[in-house]
Amino acid sequence: MSPSISLTLNGEARDIALDDPRVTLLDLLRERLALPGTKKGCDRGQCGACTVLVNGRRVNSCLTLALTLDGAEITTIEGLAADGTLHPVQEAFIENDAFQCGYCTPGQIMSAVGLIAEGRAGDDPERIREGMSGNICRCVAYHGITLAVQDATRSMTPLKKEDAA
Amino acid sequence: MYNFDFERPKSVADAVKALQTEEAQPLGGGQTLIPTLKQRLAMPSKLVSLAGIDEIKGVCKDDQNRLCIGGGTVHRVIAEKAMSEGFPGLTGLASKIGDPAVRNRGTIGGSLANNDPSACYPAAAMATGATIVTDRREIAADDYFKGLFETALEEGEIITEVKMPIPEASAYMKFEQPASRFPLVGVFVARFSDRVGVGVTGASESGVFRWTEAERALGSDFSADAVKGLSVPADGMISDLHGTAEYRAHLVGVMTRRAVAAAQ
Amino acid sequence: MKDERPDRTARAVRSPLPHDAATLHVTGAARYVDDIPVPAGCLHMAFGLSEIARGTITAMDLSAVRSAPGVRDVITAGDLPFANDVSPSAHDEPLLADGEVFYFGQPVFAVVADSHLAARKAVRLARIDYDAQTPILTIDDALAADSRFEEGPRVYAKGDADGAIAAAPRRVEGSMEIGGQEHFYLEGQAALALPQEDGDMVVQCSSQHPTEIQHKVAEALGLPMHAVRAEVRRMGGAFGGKESQGNALAVACAVAAARTGRPCKMRYDRDDDFVITGKRHDFRITYRAGHDDDGRILGLEFVQYCRCGWSQDLSLPVADRAMLHAENAYHLVDVRIESHRLKTHTQSATAFRGFGGPQGMIPMERVIDEIAHALSLDPVEVRRLNYYRAAAQSAEGGAAPATPAAPLPRDISGQKKVHDALPDDIASRGALGEVVEPAAGRVAASGEQTTPYHMPVTDFILHEMTDRLCQSADYTARRAGIEAWNAQSPILKKGLALTPVKFGISFTLTHLNQAGALVHVYQDGSIQMNHGGTEMGQGLFRKVSQVAASRFGLDVDRVRITATDTGKVPNTSATAASSGSDLNGMAVKAACDTIRDRIAAFLAEKDGVDAATVRFEDGAVITGAERYDFAEAVRLAYLGRVSLSATGYYRTPDIVWDRIRGEGRPFFYFAYGAAVTEAVVDTLTGEYRLLRTDILHDAGASLNPAIDIGQIEGGYIQGTGWLTTEELVWDAEGRLRTHAPSTYKIPACSDRPDLFTVTLWDGENFADTIYRSKAVGEPPFMLGISSFLALSDAIAACGPGYPALDAPATPERVLAAIQRVRAA
Repeated sequence: MSPSISLTLNGEARDIALDDPRVTLLDLLRERLALPGTKKGCDRGQCGACTVLVNGRRVNSCLTLALTLDGAEITTIEGLAADGTLHPVQEAFIENDAFQCGYCTPGQIMSAVGLIAEGRAGDDPERIREGMSGNICRCVAYHGITLAVQDATRSMTPLKKEDAA
Repeated sequence: MYNFDFERPKSVADAVKALQTEEAQPLGGGQTLIPTLKQRLAMPSKLVSLAGIDEIKGVCKDDQNRLCIGGGTVHRVIAEKAMSEGFPGLTGLASKIGDPAVRNRGTIGGSLANNDPSACYPAAAMATGATIVTDRREIAADDYFKGLFETALEEGEIITEVKMPIPEASAYMKFEQPASRFPLVGVFVARFSDRVGVGVTGASESGVFRWTEAERALGSDFSADAVKGLSVPADGMISDLHGTAEYRAHLVGVMTRRAVAAAQ
Repeated sequence: MKDERPDRTARAVRSPLPHDAATLHVTGAARYVDDIPVPAGCLHMAFGLSEIARGTITAMDLSAVRSAPGVRDVITAGDLPFANDVSPSAHDEPLLADGEVFYFGQPVFAVVADSHLAARKAVRLARIDYDAQTPILTIDDALAADSRFEEGPRVYAKGDADGAIAAAPRRVEGSMEIGGQEHFYLEGQAALALPQEDGDMVVQCSSQHPTEIQHKVAEALGLPMHAVRAEVRRMGGAFGGKESQGNALAVACAVAAARTGRPCKMRYDRDDDFVITGKRHDFRITYRAGHDDDGRILGLEFVQYCRCGWSQDLSLPVADRAMLHAENAYHLVDVRIESHRLKTHTQSATAFRGFGGPQGMIPMERVIDEIAHALSLDPVEVRRLNYYRAAAQSAEGGAAPATPAAPLPRDISGQKKVHDALPDDIASRGALGEVVEPAAGRVAASGEQTTPYHMPVTDFILHEMTDRLCQSADYTARRAGIEAWNAQSPILKKGLALTPVKFGISFTLTHLNQAGALVHVYQDGSIQMNHGGTEMGQGLFRKVSQVAASRFGLDVDRVRITATDTGKVPNTSATAASSGSDLNGMAVKAACDTIRDRIAAFLAEKDGVDAATVRFEDGAVITGAERYDFAEAVRLAYLGRVSLSATGYYRTPDIVWDRIRGEGRPFFYFAYGAAVTEAVVDTLTGEYRLLRTDILHDAGASLNPAIDIGQIEGGYIQGTGWLTTEELVWDAEGRLRTHAPSTYKIPACSDRPDLFTVTLWDGENFADTIYRSKAVGEPPFMLGISSFLALSDAIAACGPGYPALDAPATPERVLAAIQRVRAA
């Protein structure tokens, strides 16, 4: 059997034939679709490096079977910057020194975009920290990350928050 | 993972049919099953995704003041809805499962069907005296949980709904294993007009249990003091690399008292 | 909380510029090894691992592996055509087990397949029979079996510790267990080997030490080093875990690439990474200290038991550095440090930020804390009393009584282990047979304060730093406040601790303190820079590019940073020992200055001015008579046939070190820091939270304050994690039980204290380092000791006893310590 799924990936409609039902969204992105921006840190859903948005909600792509995504809208780190302009969260990450080695950064950014879209953390640092708690950073850029999320939250109007998701 | 067939039914009836294949397994949010498959600790011949079945999603209240939660509802939604239906203890529980990404996919049905000895929902189900509704029958919580990773579910049986009586007061206290955020010990306390329920997860080698001694004491006096002198024996508690049996037994007492204080 | 948002408009050195490749990182375009597009036909590898900790392989049937779908090749020890060795030191670490296995998780064979998944699946089909033996797993096991590296303990000593301790009016003694630590770099180990024509090999690797990769690959392929090139663009974290642990992947891929003629790639899955690779060395350290009623330490002895794992790797210099930091910031006259390097059948423990320094240092802080507790004194006062004398006083003031020469340690000069036929990996920290240079270093003058290894301490600034930190952190008032708070709080108890750090900067293996650079200025005025340092998130590339830009008076965006490449700069040392900026910054400076001086000389002659007056500023070259745009100046120089490319080289001056005798000047300078941490403990559960952290850290004249502050905060939290939640657990069979992020807890976003202040000590390095900056990678890690002692302080508030807390201080251990303290 060669199942296939139809989904929207970074704004583009795609039909993807899956030669194996076991492929996770993460492996599909990295190995089949030449989108290596989403990183594999543990492949067990415990580090957050593989965070992407599915229908505007953040998920661990390593725990998502591609087969379950028929009809879904997927946004990866590669899809955030519109026409070469950085997304406010991406800008904020640079402005606030929110990374060191950069490996967790795509997952942090996608998680931040998802968190802001949820609209409940506001710019309260404690709620932001709790809201980002699924994304590990071994270099400990957490302070910069928290500041970046606060910054981006402030600079994004409610209208823009919906666009982001 | 070992290979498997895959189906994505749109109704419970279709799902039940799909699950009649030998070694077929239902897939909820995948937050537990996918890692299990990756470690090759399970080898279903077929995965039947329940994520496309709208009839098992959603939260509402019935006329017996029970919160009726579709088995396919994700933790995030449960946390949100429980709050608006006046059930803060359940919100506290659901909003602390895993992390935000996990809460966007993991479902209550998946969690209860798996009955991980360190899962959170079983404590709430036991404390409230919930009813687990499947495609073919209704099972009382006391009869549902059978031991570590064991439930009363039959082959191919799907949890379609969980009916949880909404207590007058409730709270969930979880002492986290810091790496996984699973409860080393989790205690759910629920006060009803005629009784108190105390469900304990993460602690016992036999899985989730009701601390009946504490329930009786709290029934006459719903205060932390009422359970002060009580304790559970270390014998029979889980001892592993995260904590000894003695530590867990000690924590059961502490978490119970804190849950009662939080539920005031 | 201080808002340290940096000003981006400033230029070059001293500016808080962002990390290099910032835009690449936030768009997901920054490439790590596993992201590199591979040529068609690239194969993938996986190791088959030992399932026992110690034994002999009696049968190995890999037929099912060979015939598994997608498998192209299976390699065992017997298939390796040349060296079977990935050791950075004693050649005692085969790539693939050769008949015997020495730890649970040791690579036994390698599979080469069409996909990563196919390789991993095929591995499981192996049928291996072992004749299992009883493994040596713990420190006690190793002592009982006398299982060790080197023939006996190493001893560094000064004066007469035994006598001084016996004669002292009071004593404290005890023992401390200090756990190891898993690196958990988010990017796991990875390598990609690309076979070239004529047998040459190129390796893309995630490694701190491309020269070692080059060397081990060349050995494995039977080639001279000139036939192998190793390249590192960046690592997704390393922390020491990629100094030697990347050798196995690179060598395996290279051997497979040579065999198959196809590119070969390997990465460890997270679980395998945990199980195969070495971690921070765990220790047991016992102590005996004699002191007076004021808290002054009169004599001190440490016995350090270091659990090294099954192969030597970098254990000797790690254990040496633990000895070299045993006294931390305190001047000890009669002191003895004995170090046992124990061999066990577990992962080969390796480099990790601090490299033994943190482990050696923490018992010293325990001793101070325990003395203070015994005398009911504030530990900060006991620290001050025992501190080295402040800089600019150390050569004078109060001649110390002449101390008798310490008896020489038993001569246990490093013994080479097996495989003497293989040449030493002399660029590695594990290298043996090091040359002790004739005493170029200064011998300590009489009365001069020295470390236990006889190095004069002339740059000590912790008195001033402690004063300033106590003030800014409001230490005295908070201590009083916490005491009052604890008195009326039965369940929760707060604790406060200030701990200092003095960390020696340089590789203790003297000859590693060298670095090279290659700088090209192109005709259009753009600059390409290369050096031997690697980027692992510490901001090295950015800092060094700031140096290059500053030398030419340009903005950093004129300087292109390029991947570290053994084909551009040869014979490089690992990026380790916090030395990257120091060494490579100086080498790049030398290369830039060479080119700059040529341009200056050329224009000076053309314009009839003195070359020394030519200035490079604000993108221009000014000769007094003329002002040229930099690009124009370069163009003219090119037309004038002036070479616009140069190499640079640097070697650290003044250092000399005899690791056997324990004498010399191993460090060019010391880096200093201090931290105050406040914590609260729940006495019913043992749980705790950090409430507030204040750090004052000495980065010299900082090259880049933003990067330095990031390193300081990162080091502190990582050090805190090491001592609190990061617990490694092995079972009785030697199997690592904590091998995933679900069982091994590293600090998360929500673990950071709400109140967190980091301030840089604004003072130039006395030593002549690059722009008078100081190394900043490792020293802040040990500031995490203040978290640990804050917990201990909170526990001490529960009763009369002394907590004697072991590390890591998990909630259960904290609860047990509370019970002990109450029962005393």
